[in-house]
Parts: sequence; C-alpha cells; structure tokens
Amino acid sequence: MNDRPYSSYRPYALLAELTYRCPLHCPYCSNPTQYPAGSDLTTEEWRRVIREAAEIGVLHAGFSGGEPLLRPDLASLVAEARGNGLYTNLITSGVGLDVRRAAELREAGLDSAQISFQADEPALADGIAGARTHRLKLEAARIVREQGIALSVNVVLHRANLSRLREIIAFAAALGTKHLELANTQYYGWGFLNRSHLTPTHAQVETARLIATEEKQRYAGQMEIFYVLPDYYQDRPKPCMQGWGRRYLTVNPIGEVLPCPTASSIAGMRFDSVREHALAWIWNESESFNRFRGTDWMPEPCRSCPQHEIDFGGCRCQAALLTGDAAATDPVCTLSPDRKAIDDFLATIGGNDECIPAWRARENPGT
Amino acid sequence: MSAPDSRPALAPGVRMQTDRVTGEPVLLYPEGILALNATAHEIVARCDGVATVAAIAHTLAEEYEMDSDALAADVLECLEDLRRRHLIVFAE
Repeated sequence: MNDRPYSSYRPYALLAELTYRCPLHCPYCSNPTQYPAGSDLTTEEWRRVIREAAEIGVLHAGFSGGEPLLRPDLASLVAEARGNGLYTNLITSGVGLDVRRAAELREAGLDSAQISFQADEPALADGIAGARTHRLKLEAARIVREQGIALSVNVVLHRANLSRLREIIAFAAALGTKHLELANTQYYGWGFLNRSHLTPTHAQVETARLIATEEKQRYAGQMEIFYVLPDYYQDRPKPCMQGWGRRYLTVNPIGEVLPCPTASSIAGMRFDSVREHALAWIWNESESFNRFRGTDWMPEPCRSCPQHEIDFGGCRCQAALLTGDAAATDPVCTLSPDRKAIDDFLATIGGNDECIPAWRARENPGT
Repeated sequence: MSAPDSRPALAPGVRMQTDRVTGEPVLLYPEGILALNATAHEIVARCDGVATVAAIAHTLAEEYEMDSDALAADVLECLEDLRRRHLIVFAE
C-alpha cells in the first residue's frame, strides 16, 4: 500500500465531537479548559463532514463530545455515517439515553455504544462525576443491551478509584459488556489542571497492573479487557494517535480539524476549519496536519532512535504542556532531557493514596 | 472453543464491509478495523451462525477443488484467531 499517494497518511477514523456541553463534571476530562469561540456546526455541516470523511478513506466514525446525546440531530448524523458505509460508535455518558432515543439510534444504524462509568460504587461514582448520574448510566447500559446495540464500557482510572480496580472489573462484567476499556487518566485539559489530585501513587499503579493482568486471564473469552497504562509511570512514550496526522482525525464542535482531540491546547498552532476548507485539503495539505508528520521535525534523541517508528516521538500535546515546545521529545521518555519534569511531579505525589476531591470540576462552555 | 460442528457468526457489533479505498474486505468493530486477506474473507463471508465449521470447509474445498480435511484445519485456525480477537462467536 506504500505506492499510493498519502497511503501512509490515511485517515481511518473520524472522531466527531458534536458538542462540548456535558451533564457531567469529571475532573479528568480531556476537553479544553478554554473552549474555542464560535458556533457549533449545523446538522448540514456535520453531514458534509461525514461524507467528505468517507471519501478520503475514513471507515470508522465515533460520535463524542462533551455529551453527543445533547444534539437532537444525533440519529440523523449516525444515519448519514451508515449511509456512507462508516462504522458508527457512540461515546457517551449514557445520560439521556432512554428507550426512545436508543431505539431511534438503532434504527439509524448505530453499531455500538460505549458508556463511561466513574466507579462501581454509586456514591464514589457520583462524587467523581460531580453529578448524580450513576443510576442513569446503569439504566442506559440495560437499554443499550435490550436494543441489541453492542455495549462497551469505559472507566477512567485515577487515585480516587484505582484501588477499586477489581471491584470495577466485576461491576463491568455484571453489566454484560464484552469489552471493557480501563484507561488510566491522561493529563490533558481539565485532567492536566487536576493532575495533582488524580495521579495515583506508585504502589497503587503496581498493584493495579498485577490485578489487570490477573483479571484479563479470569475473563478471557467472556470480556475483553483493554488496560491503558498510566504513561507518567512508563519509561517510553505512548505511540500517540499512531503518529500525528497518520490514521486519525478529530473535528471539534466548531469545525476545527485536529490530528488528535487535545491538539487545540498547543499554544501557537492554528487548525483549519471545515467551514473554510475541504476535509481532503486539510488532511493532505494543511500546515497543521503536516507539522509533525514523518521524522524530519524530530529533535534528538528521537531523530536517531530506532523506537521512533514505533512511538513517533510520543505525544505532541504532552510535550507542549510539559516543556512549552510541541516539537520536543515526549518527556515521558527516560531519554528525554525533560524527563525531570515528570519525575519532579511524581515526587510530589508521594506514597499517600488518600484522595481528597479538591479538584476543579469540569465546567461547560459559557459558564 | 471452536469445533467442526460449531456454528460461527460475526460477534455483536462487528460488521464486514468493503474498503472503498483498497477495494478489499475489512471487519469493522467498536475499537478498530481489521483487513481480511482473500482466504479469511471467503471464510468470514460464510459465518452466518447457521453453517458449521465443517460445512464451511466442505463448501470451500469443493469450490477450490482442495482436500476438505486439510482445509478444515485452516478454517478452524482462521476462526480461532478471529475468536481470540472477539470478532467471531460460536454457537454450538
């Protein structure tokens, strides 16, 4: 497939962030803390984005946010995606997913729904969400299954819930999901703001790693468990987005096209909008999408490192947040001259796994 | 575990489709995309929850004039791989 133009840079998946509004206030949210100014895309604009995405090779559409169910036109966008041959996945808190809505989405062709949970235990879950939503989520999961839509479950892990990992896994299994994503918090947006409260202790991380391995075995064949490691505690960076502008594109609520959902946090970068350009042009030609493609942009130690074909230098947003330079090696890498930024931060976490929820709750646009 | 008399079907939430860029078949599922080679495509296209593994192997053997027993092992191996990826389920 290398002899086709742009073949090594083909978008396979579109993440459509339909709104930044959300009924939950999770402190780990990776949405921007400063919402971009502008009006949300209209139904017709989204339909065009979906058609253009399919034309340039996208096979997978994720509808996310914020809370995508807050868009009354969600089912018509799902139908547009299905009509263009895309796989459709709803990434939701579950709040607002009643029988009528779920049936409407199923009829529109929704392939799967991922519902987030904050913990297994209702009071803890509601405390993390900053809203009494756990019970509504249980109901939503039941309705999704009843409607015959494939259900997956996502739980973001951090200091307040990591010690309940085994209980959380059993809880997810009881929901009847075949797929559980357990994602240690990645520190972007509100999550970065709250990282002192969210980062687990080294002991918590080590115990959780063992539990995750055991439980994967236990549930093999029944429920697939995907465990996202906490990258601050790793030695090498994650292969963020499988490389900048290589496989994924995100369109945010106001129509900016991003190589990753958190890229708008990078100071000084400008992202083109679907209101001004065709998606194909943005993917192929725009400065933002080409900025970190290939290896020419890489500094040492990445440039001469054999790992750079595996991890692509790590995460540009993380480099920008921790060093002020989006082109720096991801400081998670122990070969990075900036690794100290992470080690110094982890030293402040210490060994106390007590979690006082003094975090700043995620706010909605315009509040 | 798959056996010759089990009846494979696509797992819930999994869909087979043609990739309009390459013209090749792919399996689409909640977390990703798997490109199918020609053999896997022939097998998966027959996984309707009704045909047994043995029947699928038999049909393919006739179509391609191959030895049914040898092909059955390949079919089982392919389906077992897909089952491990949670893309295929088996009904007894």
